[in-house]
Order: sequence, then structure tokens, then C-alpha cells
Amino acid sequence: MEKIVMVLSFLSLFLYAEELNTQEHSFKNTCLSCHQQQQIPSALIYKRYLMKYSTNKRMEDAMFIYMKDPKKEHSIMPAPFFLKFPMKENVDLDDDTLRKHIKTYLELFDIKKKLMLEE
Amino acid sequence: MLRSEKRSLIRFLILYLGSTFILFSIASWLFYISSKHHLLDQQRESIKYEAEHIKSQLRTLHQSNAAKLVYPNHTHIQSAIYDLDKTYIFGTFKTEQPLDINKYENRLYHTLKVEPYYLGVAYLMVTKDIDFEPIGKLQKNIILFMLAAGVFFVILGYFLGKLFVAPMRDAIKQMNHFIQDTTHELNTPISTILTNIEMIETFGKHEENSTELKRIEIASKTLNRIYDDLTYINLNHKYHRNIVNLNMSTLIEERMVYFSAMAEAKGLNVTVNTDPDVMLQIDKNDAIRLVDNLISNAIKYNRSKGFLHVTLTEEQFLVKDTGTGIGSKDLSTILQRFKRANKSEGGFGIGLDIVNQVVISYDFALEMNSKEAEGTEVSVKWKK
Repeated sequence: MEKIVMVLSFLSLFLYAEELNTQEHSFKNTCLSCHQQQQIPSALIYKRYLMKYSTNKRMEDAMFIYMKDPKKEHSIMPAPFFLKFPMKENVDLDDDTLRKHIKTYLELFDIKKKLMLEE
Repeated sequence: MLRSEKRSLIRFLILYLGSTFILFSIASWLFYISSKHHLLDQQRESIKYEAEHIKSQLRTLHQSNAAKLVYPNHTHIQSAIYDLDKTYIFGTFKTEQPLDINKYENRLYHTLKVEPYYLGVAYLMVTKDIDFEPIGKLQKNIILFMLAAGVFFVILGYFLGKLFVAPMRDAIKQMNHFIQDTTHELNTPISTILTNIEMIETFGKHEENSTELKRIEIASKTLNRIYDDLTYINLNHKYHRNIVNLNMSTLIEERMVYFSAMAEAKGLNVTVNTDPDVMLQIDKNDAIRLVDNLISNAIKYNRSKGFLHVTLTEEQFLVKDTGTGIGSKDLSTILQRFKRANKSEGGFGIGLDIVNQVVISYDFALEMNSKEAEGTEVSVKWKK
């Protein structure tokens, strides 16, 4: 009985890791590759969202609104930003996938994880 | 220093120092509370300053692109940062601390709102231990001040007290001098009068003027007794007692002869019951003062043709009269010097004071029962 439980646990972990890997891969292909190509400062954008909204949930909601309807009035970046970078095009993703990508983005650029105490 | 003067000075000092101490204690307490709050406020200001400093450092960290962000750790200060939902982000505490932490009494806490939300931080909580050293110094200074003030006010109070009782002391001294002078002046004329009365009674023809002679004798003996009492009071603290085994029965019989003229003049019915040879260890002069004052009072305040009972047993000496009596409110203070319940007869009010002094000196027990318009009974008891 214990052996079956162990096998099932390992299997579910493996599948979860696989899904994560797949998700990250999808995010990189759908979002990050374009950002990197156009040299959009993703880290800076993250910091701006962080400074305005504080919590991940609030940042996620604000970013979702912008992603669904990319307009200057929904954007967190100042007007001069759009002189250099083009307005984002509408994404053709379902809400669920979009939210997952946003979460991945926040996870990737989360600067709070970098905090440490001096040794 | 006189006894009464000492007593008054002590009472004054107790009242004066007591009230000064209470006032100073209240003032010191209020000062301590106010100063302590000021010291704590200063410490609160210092952690507010630290919080502002940490906030500026959070801004720097937010803008940094370093791979690792070193959280500001200040000496003696602990801090933690929270997002807009008050969720813990990071801090210097050993374990994660909620923002609405249970505050300890010996620590200072300050929560600063951060805007914009550098590193996502909406709240910064800073805490440190209260520095009790300045508060300890404050307590020590207040105690030292109180001690110094106490010494100063004790010295001041003593001199003020002496000034306060000075008029009373002067008045008592004046009265004592007066008594001293009076007794000195009375001695010779009284002795002369009594000696001559005795000579007339023994050798002279006095049948025609026997009534007048009796009156002179009574008046002279009254004067003599007053003189003896004043002398006794004046010299009491310097008087050297000569304790002898005195035959009280004989003494009382002698004194009753001495007072017989006075008693006859008032038409009193006198009964004397003395047990034979009642012996007592006492100075003769003290015994005479005791007996004379009780008998003379019983005669003086008796009604005309009243009764006077004098009893002596192995355990007590009792004098009972049918006189004016003493009111219940005067009974408790009648033994005080110069105190008089009835001013209808002459006197200074020192007789019962003398009786009381003798009673205290020999550890006797004095009991007085009296009813106004009925009479008084005074008993002096001793242990055999």
C-alpha cells in the first residue's frame, strides 16, 4: 500500500514539474521572447507595478486589465515610454492562460526574493 | 526645655514635616512622570528617525539591480516590512512577526506608512528596547533631591518650631518665676502669723476673741497650705525625696487635727476611720501634700453642715464629701494644673495636680467618682 502511495506521489510531482516547465516555456515563447527582442525593460516595468500596487494580486489584476485592453490609460508606463516602444498589440490568449503568464512574469522578476540580511 | 514646650515642638514638627513631605512627594511624582514621558518621547523620536532612514534605504534597494539586496540592519533596532495587505515580506526578527504584534512593555514600537510602495512595502515596523539608564538616573536624582530637601526642611522646621513655641515658653517661665517669687515672699509672714496664733492660744487670754482667733487660724493655715503647694510645684523636679516607713494612720490623725478648725467653721460632720498602724514607704512631705489636698478640697467644696468621711485601710486612702461635685465633662481634665471645675471657692487649681504627681511618682492608683450637687469620692490605692 505504501509503495503505491509513494509511486503516485512521485508521479504527481513529476507531472507538476512537467506542467511548470511547460508553462514557463509557453510564457517565454508567448511573452518574454518579444520583450527581449524589442529590448523592453521588463524588470523596470515590474518595479513600477510593484511600487504602485504593492501586492502580487493587485499587480496581477492591473496587468490583466492592461493586457486585455492595451491602452495608454491602462498602462503604468509614462507617456514618453510610448515614444520609444510601440503600444502592445492585443493578445490572443484565454483569460486563464493570460493570468498564468502574468503570474509567471511576477514570479520571474520578483525582487523581494533577493532580500537578505548582512552576514 | 519644658515638657509642654517639647511636646508642642514635636507636634509642630510632625505636622509641618508631614505636610511638607506629602507636598514634595506629590510634586516629585508629577515631575518624574513628566520627565519620564519626555525621555520616552525622545527615544520614540529616535526610532522614528531610524524608520525614516530605513525607508530611504528601501528606496535605494528598490532602484538597485544587484543580484542580492541587503536589508538595512541597524544596531539595537529591529524592523520588518509588510505589503498593503499587511502580509509580512521581510525583517530582522528571528521569526515572522505580524504587524499587529503583541506589544511588550519594555519596548518602543513605531509603524511607518510607506508610499510609494518601494519593494512592495506599504508598512514599515520598527522596534527597540527602552533605554532605562536615563530613567534610572532621573529616579536617583529625584531621591537625592528629596533627601537634601528633607534635611533642609527638618533643620528649618526645628528653628521655626522653636520660634513658634517661644511665646508659650516665655509665658510659662514668667508664671514659674512669679510662683517662685510669691512663695519666697509668703514664707516669712505666714510663719509669723501661725507662730503668734500658737503663742496666743498657749499663753495669752483669748476667750473673748476665740471666734476671731479661729478665723485667723483657718485663714493662716489656708495660706500656709497654698504656700506649701506652690513650693512643692516649684521645687518638684529638684526635690530630693527621703523615703521612710511612714505611719499613715498617725499622719492622717494629725492632719485632721490641723483641718479641724476649717471643718468646724463649716459645721461639717466628720468621720475618720483609720486602721491602726498602716505603714507606707513614702516621703513625709509627699504624703502630707497628698492627704492635705484631698482633705482641704473635701472641706472647701462641701456644703454647709455636710458630711466628710475619711477612711484609711491597708490598701487605700479614701475621702468622701457631700459637696458640689464635678461635672462629667470636667472629670477627665480636673487633674491638669490650673484646671478648676468650680470657681466659687478660692484657689489656683493646683491641688489635684499635686495629688496626681504624687500618685504617679509612687505608682499608686487614683480613682475619682463624682456627681454634681451630690458629692465626690476620691481614693488612692497602693499595692502592699
